[in-house]
Amino acid sequence: MDTDEISIEALNLRKTFKIRKRDGGFTFIKRYSQIEAVRDISFSIQKGDIVGFIGPNGAGKSTTVKMLTGILMPDDGSIRINGMDYRKNRRDIMKKIGVVFGQRSVLCWDIPVIESFRLFKDMYCISNEMYNKNMNMFSDILNLKEYMHQPPRLLSLGQRMKADLAAALLYNPEILFLDEPTIGIDILAKERIRDFIKQINQECHTTVVLTTHDVSDIEVLCHKMLVIDHGNLIYDGTLSEMKENYATQCSDSLNKEDVELEHIIKQIYKGSFL
Amino acid sequence: MKKYVDYMKIGMKEHLVYSGAVWARLFSKIIYLYLQFCIWSALFTSGCIKNPALDKTNILRYIVIATIVSTIIECNVIEKINEQIQSGNIATELIRPIGFKRMLLSRHLGDTVIKILCYTIPLMILAKVSTEMQLVCTYQLGFGILSILLAYSIQFLYSLIIGLLAFWFIVTWPINMFLGAIYKLLSGVWIPVTMFPEMLYKVNLFLPFRAIYAIPVSILANGMKINVIWQSIGIQIIWLVILYILMQCIWHVGRRKLVVQGG
Repeated sequence: MDTDEISIEALNLRKTFKIRKRDGGFTFIKRYSQIEAVRDISFSIQKGDIVGFIGPNGAGKSTTVKMLTGILMPDDGSIRINGMDYRKNRRDIMKKIGVVFGQRSVLCWDIPVIESFRLFKDMYCISNEMYNKNMNMFSDILNLKEYMHQPPRLLSLGQRMKADLAAALLYNPEILFLDEPTIGIDILAKERIRDFIKQINQECHTTVVLTTHDVSDIEVLCHKMLVIDHGNLIYDGTLSEMKENYATQCSDSLNKEDVELEHIIKQIYKGSFL
Repeated sequence: MKKYVDYMKIGMKEHLVYSGAVWARLFSKIIYLYLQFCIWSALFTSGCIKNPALDKTNILRYIVIATIVSTIIECNVIEKINEQIQSGNIATELIRPIGFKRMLLSRHLGDTVIKILCYTIPLMILAKVSTEMQLVCTYQLGFGILSILLAYSIQFLYSLIIGLLAFWFIVTWPINMFLGAIYKLLSGVWIPVTMFPEMLYKVNLFLPFRAIYAIPVSILANGMKINVIWQSIGIQIIWLVILYILMQCIWHVGRRKLVVQGG
């Protein structure tokens, strides 16, 4: 497989929200303020990469991911997914991407999980063969059998997350977007989920884009990192490069060899590095 | 196509998840039907209605049929869209390779199948047995069913339009409450529109509400001339087209307005 293929390309993305100012009192004069959630971001992601998308709360991560997944329309700029544009090939792109939101479920709330899977089977025209193969694989790794006949309403957060992950991967998407996939998940379940993501990435060459606040997620999973703050992209490169950069720039750190990633990220957020 | 059938099935199952709710709804509908029947019978026996546009049996037939037909036409798409836009869960629908509106329609159709089985048919049997009236003009039944189908589509489009206004307002149930009152009065689901004062009746001729209940129910309940029936169905078709165009405009403009919060 050609590994130089570009799966996601974003060019000069911008998104501004118009927010009405409310000062708590009753007033008839409407005052609006413009919030630039994303200002002029460009990057490209290669096929088969696992890319960590990090930034402090409210930095514009989720907005960017929502634009990349076609939920929000950018005010300006263009997004190409496998060379396709949302404006023209929306449905084709949708068949090639899988999305998991840590804070929302894509599964029907009151209906057993397995029924939602059947819906996706028809929605994405998954062949019986592929469906069975994937279901067997997911059952092994994610213990699907334990809870797939229950509705999401009755599942624990970890189970729901795993079910959502399975739902997003059922149709072998080429790109997987994970928005905080390990939020509120215990250590063991986290490990399972990470191993699963890794396995999928290796076996199917799936491109993975994940946003997270969990530094260990990034250390375990990601080859590349995108750091975003105040709507600007402030770092785009590999993890090891970042560590090296930090070691050379900030000579104050005592042992250059193993600087904790968490420490670096803290410095970035504080604004004293990059 | 199969995915939309799946959505229909999901719509059906979602309606049946809480069986207690299904029973409660059935009973409330039976009580409402009984209430309507009693009120209108009482109005006639007390002599409050002078020079009615329709006679007693016709009015009672109209009221009973309107109540039964409402179990088919009712549409909760407004609340569904509101809930999704307000919570941001609309995001999980927009990432699918499906049409959002078609998905809503499929679910609504599934919901309706269950409503017909659980409410419409029991109410029909109950009305037939307890009133012992000839309820439907059988020779107009075909037109009546066609008209119900059109009314069903108009109601769906109307709900979709109001629901999609949430792109701008986030919450549209207050608008819905306001329009709901007008809708209930002018559509003719409570009171036959022919009994309105002349002024109101004329205004109503230019509004879509009449096409949802008054037209199909009148065709089913009251004998009419064939050219009047065709004219009524023509009016429904015109409204269908107007609302469809309006809905498409709102969808295309509103889609850009979408703000999915959180995360």
